[in-house]
Amino acid sequence: MSTVYSVKELKKDYQVGEVTTHALRGVDLEIQQGEFTAIAGPSGSGKSTLLHLMGALDHPSSGEVWLNDTRIDQLSKSQSARLRLWNIGFVFQAYNLIPVLTALENAAFVLELRGIAKNRRETVAREALAALGMSEYADRRPNQLSGGQQQRVAVARALAADPKIILADEPTANLDSETGHTLIELMQHLNEEHGVTFVFSTHDPRLLDQVKRIVRLEDGRVTGEETPLSA
Amino acid sequence: MVTLAWRNLWRQRRRSMITSGAVGAVVFLSLLYYGMGGASINNMYQSLTEATGHIQVHVPDYRDVREFRALLIKDAASVEETLQSGAGPGEVMGVLAVPGLLSGEDRSRGIIAVGQDLPTSLRNRFLEKNLIGGRLLEEGDLEGILLGAALARALEVELGDDVYIYAPGTEGFGAAAYQVVGLLDLLDPNFESRSAYLSLAAAQELAAPGAVTHFEIHFPELRLLKEDSTALTRRDTLQAALPNYSVESWRDLNPSLVQLLDAFGPMMNVVNIIFFILAGLLVVNTVYLSLMERIHEFGVIISLGAAGRNIVRMITLESVLLCTTGAAIGTVLGLLLLAYWSQNGLSIPGLEEYYASFGLKPIFYPSVKPHQVLFSVGFAIATGILAALWPANVASRLEPVEAMRFTA
Ligand SMILES: Nc1ncnc2c1ncn2[C@@H]1O[C@H](COP(=O)(O)OP(=O)(O)OP(=O)(O)O)[C@@H](O)[C@H]1O
Ligand SMILES: [Mg+2]
Repeated sequence: MSTVYSVKELKKDYQVGEVTTHALRGVDLEIQQGEFTAIAGPSGSGKSTLLHLMGALDHPSSGEVWLNDTRIDQLSKSQSARLRLWNIGFVFQAYNLIPVLTALENAAFVLELRGIAKNRRETVAREALAALGMSEYADRRPNQLSGGQQQRVAVARALAADPKIILADEPTANLDSETGHTLIELMQHLNEEHGVTFVFSTHDPRLLDQVKRIVRLEDGRVTGEETPLSA
Repeated sequence: MVTLAWRNLWRQRRRSMITSGAVGAVVFLSLLYYGMGGASINNMYQSLTEATGHIQVHVPDYRDVREFRALLIKDAASVEETLQSGAGPGEVMGVLAVPGLLSGEDRSRGIIAVGQDLPTSLRNRFLEKNLIGGRLLEEGDLEGILLGAALARALEVELGDDVYIYAPGTEGFGAAAYQVVGLLDLLDPNFESRSAYLSLAAAQELAAPGAVTHFEIHFPELRLLKEDSTALTRRDTLQAALPNYSVESWRDLNPSLVQLLDAFGPMMNVVNIIFFILAGLLVVNTVYLSLMERIHEFGVIISLGAAGRNIVRMITLESVLLCTTGAAIGTVLGLLLLAYWSQNGLSIPGLEEYYASFGLKPIFYPSVKPHQVLFSVGFAIATGILAALWPANVASRLEPVEAMRFTA
């Protein structure tokens, strides 16, 4: 197993007026190739902040983030855009999709940004939709899909781009717990069958019973780590 | 990407349609404006050159000369010969303008009696444009006279009546009787009430045998202002051939109208540019609003790895699409209307008298040139690009995390 991510002493402060919020107070974390990791913690614990920094969407106050052998915490805007385009998949909480595009076009969107020809990218996007059981909804617009279906399309979009890692920030937050569970199971399935490396965050403990690795985050610090299924 | 841009425009259908419609209206208006303007310019050019000829030959400094005799070109025959050989396709016409007193049964008026034999092409134009009763004069006619209709009314004479001209102090008979054979509508009422026309022979017999006051050279095939340079070069050649005379072009003869004419093209461009700027502001507003509504969406797109230039391209594409759709509709409608008018002519009731006072024909045959269509459409596209610059720039600088926190 090789190390995909390596996060060292990561700190992030937000300054709003006089008040400084220490969103991350020194986080160390390693993610191995093929892992399925949940970042669990209550609201405000810094999950989103951590995932944003891992996705090169923001700059930390101090510390380092390494993706494979590249340090990615101090990249310029265009460098980080290129990094995300070619290496990192994202799934967000909600409203992930472009409303005027169909499920298929959404799933193909990252490939389109990469400049891949229409035929090729639609073939790949169809496969990704199929892997998430969304084939029959390929031509629907997001507003014609349920919340769970929308999130599956968002995962399909990340999957189609075949990234080194998929980061999902509370992908189930807007779903009822059963649908949320199904989504996590699907992601887990992709992880096992296709070897896709996932990191997702959640504040819902009920989603964690199947997860191989849980990292507990509280108040900007890693407070524990469990690997319940490895026992 | 085009599909994406197109569908995004449909999201706010009404707003897009209004904006696009505004651009279309501007393109439409600018085409009409060019069409009418082009027609006016050529119309004015034609009227001016018909009235004065493209070139006139006088004695030097004739404008300052008060006395009739000093205005005369006495060796008219030899000057005419030189002009004939140098005029190329131009038609040379000698004119003798005699100031005199015209009397009817019991009224008189001071007039200018113009003696000239119109060449065929001008004669036909004169016939259809100006003659409202009777007939024109034949060359060498010593009896007939044409009167401006207003002049005839002032003298209370009609077709077939006799009139008398007194031209004292001249070199001919100085007085003669004529019969009114035709009445003329000369557009300008002022001019119409003091104009009478004789044949050149009759005028010479009356006032100056063998002489003329000036020559006019007409180029009947020159109808468009842009072809006028041929006439101007002729003028230079003829002036060189006749160093003892003043050879002037129609531009020298109508300096104030020429100024107006020359300002017309640039003025049309300025007005059009202002229209496009106004439409452009509306487009900026629309593009900007649609950006504001989609900040979250742009946040997602940037997170997925879109570079600044991708965002710029998306927004510019929407803006250009918005403008070109409008421009296409405006162009089609504008050209259809112009095509109709150029077949059937367009007369504007309120403007007729106004134009007549400049000696212009009140019916237009609008024409647009391909480059003016390109100019309008090009402007619409440029408007689209310029209008997108600022919103696109703002969008490409969005911080993804911040943008995604927005609304949603
Ligand atoms: N842009 C910001 N400006 C100021 N404070 C911020 C900003 N973003 C996050 N914070 C603060 O940083 C802390 C961590 O926020 P973060 O969003 O990472 O938590 P989270 O674990 O994702 O919470 P949630 O489960 O509610 O999404 C919180 O106290 C939050 O208020
Ligand atoms: Mg969060």
